[in-house]
Amino acid sequence: MNKLTGFSIEHPKLTIFLILLLTLIFATQFPKVKTDTDPKNMLPASSEVRVYNDQVEKTFNLHKDMIVVGIVKEQGIFDPSTLEKIERITDKILKLQGVVLEDVTSFTTADNVVAEGNNLTVQPLLTKIPETEKEMESFKKSLYDNPIWLGRLISKDGKTTAIYVPLEPGANGKKIAEKIKKIISQEKGEEKYYIAGDPVARDTFGAEMFKQMALFSPLAGLIMMVALFLMFANLPLVFSIMGVAMMSIVWSMGLLIGLGFPVHIMSSMIPVFLMAISTDSIHIFNEFYFRFNEVKDKKKAVIDTINTVGAPVRYTALATAVGFGVLAIGGIIPVRVFGLFVAFGTVVIRFMSFTFIPAVMMLVKEEKLLKVSSRDSLEKGASVWLGKLGRFATAKPKILLGIGFILLVLAIAGISRIKVNNNMVKWFKEKSEIRQADKIMNENLGGTSLGYLVAQTNTPEGMKEPENLKYLEGVQKDLEKVEVVGKTTGLTDLIKRMHRVINQDKPEFEKIPEDRKVIAQYLFMFGMATKPSTLDNLVDYPYQQANLMVQLKTWDAQAMQKVIDRVDDYQKSFPNGNLKFKPAGIAYFNLVWNNEVLFDMVKVFILALILVYLILSFNFRSFKWGLLSYFPLIFTIVLIYGVVGFIGKDFDMPISVLSTLSLGMAVDFAIHFIQRFKQRYETEKDLQKALIWTVERPGKGILRNALLFSLAFSVMIFASLTPYSTVGIFIASLMMISAFLTLIYLPAFIVLFRRFLITELKTEAQNGSINSP
Amino acid sequence: MLKKYFLTLGLFVIFSPSVLWGQEKFTAPEVAAKYQGYFFYPGKDFKVLVSMQLIEKGGQERIRELTMLRKNSPKGLEQKYFIYFHQPADVRGMSFMVYKYPKKDDDRWLFMPALNLVKRIAAKDKRSSFVGSDFTYEDVSGRDLEEDDFSILREEKISDFGSMGQAGDCYVLKSVPKDPKSADYSYRLSWIDKESFLPLKEEYYDLKGELYKIFSAEELKQIQGFWTVTKRRMQNVKTGHQTLVSFKDIQYNLGMEENLFTERYLKNPPSKWIK
Repeated sequence: MNKLTGFSIEHPKLTIFLILLLTLIFATQFPKVKTDTDPKNMLPASSEVRVYNDQVEKTFNLHKDMIVVGIVKEQGIFDPSTLEKIERITDKILKLQGVVLEDVTSFTTADNVVAEGNNLTVQPLLTKIPETEKEMESFKKSLYDNPIWLGRLISKDGKTTAIYVPLEPGANGKKIAEKIKKIISQEKGEEKYYIAGDPVARDTFGAEMFKQMALFSPLAGLIMMVALFLMFANLPLVFSIMGVAMMSIVWSMGLLIGLGFPVHIMSSMIPVFLMAISTDSIHIFNEFYFRFNEVKDKKKAVIDTINTVGAPVRYTALATAVGFGVLAIGGIIPVRVFGLFVAFGTVVIRFMSFTFIPAVMMLVKEEKLLKVSSRDSLEKGASVWLGKLGRFATAKPKILLGIGFILLVLAIAGISRIKVNNNMVKWFKEKSEIRQADKIMNENLGGTSLGYLVAQTNTPEGMKEPENLKYLEGVQKDLEKVEVVGKTTGLTDLIKRMHRVINQDKPEFEKIPEDRKVIAQYLFMFGMATKPSTLDNLVDYPYQQANLMVQLKTWDAQAMQKVIDRVDDYQKSFPNGNLKFKPAGIAYFNLVWNNEVLFDMVKVFILALILVYLILSFNFRSFKWGLLSYFPLIFTIVLIYGVVGFIGKDFDMPISVLSTLSLGMAVDFAIHFIQRFKQRYETEKDLQKALIWTVERPGKGILRNALLFSLAFSVMIFASLTPYSTVGIFIASLMMISAFLTLIYLPAFIVLFRRFLITELKTEAQNGSINSP
Repeated sequence: MLKKYFLTLGLFVIFSPSVLWGQEKFTAPEVAAKYQGYFFYPGKDFKVLVSMQLIEKGGQERIRELTMLRKNSPKGLEQKYFIYFHQPADVRGMSFMVYKYPKKDDDRWLFMPALNLVKRIAAKDKRSSFVGSDFTYEDVSGRDLEEDDFSILREEKISDFGSMGQAGDCYVLKSVPKDPKSADYSYRLSWIDKESFLPLKEEYYDLKGELYKIFSAEELKQIQGFWTVTKRRMQNVKTGHQTLVSFKDIQYNLGMEENLFTERYLKNPPSKWIK
């Protein structure tokens, strides 16, 4: 027992006061909180993909953020009243703060180059609401004839149109979306409106995240409190466990905010995690009650408890902290921050276990303790049942081994089916407005997820060469055969359009002209007649690089991989030394960090495995026992990921973090089990009896711990954001599974491999190196 | 007959040299009329070699070099423009003709040498960019006075007036389009030099009331008695794009023939005026 614990036992009130004071200091940081939901910040600003994306956005004057307002009318939108609405809505959107008004694209603002006899007209698609049938027909024709707008401003069935609203940097997408909703709400009629786009999703997510955090952390806390009270029926003790949880949350979040880190999707889960980790203190109480019942002297019981449980608690805390801490070596910033601060919180919890908790125990009245602790020894229900479980495990280890083997094989089959995928839109529930809007747009228009393919030539003016443009056209045509690709837009489309219009609108001229000068002069005409963005978004200033915009029908990160692979294949089949393609855009960014998640997970997980193994081996002073304590943990992880693979759930960032999480937490059970078994085995030389005792008594602590854990996390199942519910479900099941695996397989293995394990134990025991906390 | 008389009188009032008027006070519409006259209508005709630098935010440039001829209608406010492109090289020989009518849409024709084709361009919009620059057609050829409401906000000295080394005493004129849909800007502020009646600076405010475009005259010269802005800059503060324009070989009152501004000369630019 260290000096700190000694001090806490001698001066409990002072200890509690000092800890509360520290907590208050951390709490003062809270008002400075800021959130960050921009997926770009998953990777550092200096990462290659971000640097290149910024460069591409600058070169082609692209807007980082775009809101898409979808307008659907079942009877078709070619109706004067609908068009009037679109005009009114567009006009109002143009006046919103934070909107880049010159690049808002709708019927009334989009450039259209049309041929009228020998005349060439450049004007917005809709300058005047058509009054006659004939005018409406010609408006309709102008839309369908223009491949640039078909699939962007009009769906093939004529029922859907859209208004594209680019945002100024730093504008709040959710606020602008709300203003647009207000504008829309003033319109009556049968039109349905959908608001989609990355900034809306992101900023809605941010707002939602706060709600979830504010709702589910306290709710998890409340459930834990009730459960704790049912287990211990002693309010001061319940409050002290909750107090430890709360204080570790306040310390960690206070530090996080104080150091200037924004709260991100991952870090918003820190409170729930810390709450779960703090349940480890249950082992202290569990033991304290047993001890107090035996010695009836509070101070002695506290000291004995700390001496006995001290070592496992210390090592479990260390293992947990290391498990989370290694996340810091990964490349995904929010995961790094999350790992570090959960590790910090774990250390805080450990610190509390040896200061705050003993201090509280010292202050609890003895009579009260007597009443409650007698109840605990009487409360045999679970212990009896656990005893049976222990007897079964020690009697039939081979059967268990066989079942385990079958499960393992199945799980590995499941794992092989795992699909790594991050899809921001799927972070919202199926029925949510955002997902509905995204679905409608993707079904009817080109697609909401946007990737760029930058075609680079060797020399300035290279993009004016017919040969290069034809190649680009070939790539486009090939890409449009890919299922996930909704639409591509390139410089080629402008040139083909102009060529046709100049040649009396004859469809056969819808192709790239053979003469470079003709192309150059068309491009010049575009520069003269249309909005600057028309050309700038598709070709750079020196005409050396062209930007091919690829609209994808899904936010699945893998969609962009398909595009890249397709272009690679095309280039292999049709080699062209002049053109190189480089991917960019949000869809590509999602792909990059998606891959990073997988790579990171593997890297971090391996490191964590090694470190935790070392800690375990050190803890048990034995590599064999270290390996043994590893088993329930690995088995749990394999099982969980097997299930993920079988049910076809995307392996995304929150799920990937679960692996290290389980490493840090599930190992607790094994440490407690083995440590306590060894202590018992010193006095109880009958192996089977010692094991059954361990399953009964510390096993109850383990089960209580797992139950509390699961309860706390299970509330997250009801969260409106899927990452929260996923994490909730998986952690809850993970804890229960690993608790059971610990209680079943550890005794089974110890019986089965007693020759290897116990001989060592005996010599070790003779050396007296065991049980020295 | 009477109408024609008034019109001539009107033009006389507009074009009479400011010295005659001394430091008299003008009303806002008067200042606007003088600004229009001196900035967009000086001389009977006018020839200039224009070089334009279109500079994007990142500093990359595109160059436009063109000869521009302008002839005022002897009768009214109509004008004819002839533009011949020298640079960039691959559009050399492209020419462009504009008949400007104050009360209706312009007529525009474009000749594309690569196709040996003249196309009439129906322009429904005077606000579109002039040859890809930050200037619109309206910025180049002016806007009908009756489309705006004018007011003089204040008088101000622009002291920091670059190469001219003179302090410009200015009227600050506010122009507000009567029909908000007729212009890109919700209002425009013009600093109009009291001596030359040329704009030394202009600020354009968009529909949200935010400043988005700044015009600045960077060099003024008196040529054949006409004050001329020989260097100007239009800067889009929102996009970071800007256009620098300089005038060379300026000549007024050359006596251009009316038939110069016909489709025939679009295909075969008059060597007399264009080298």
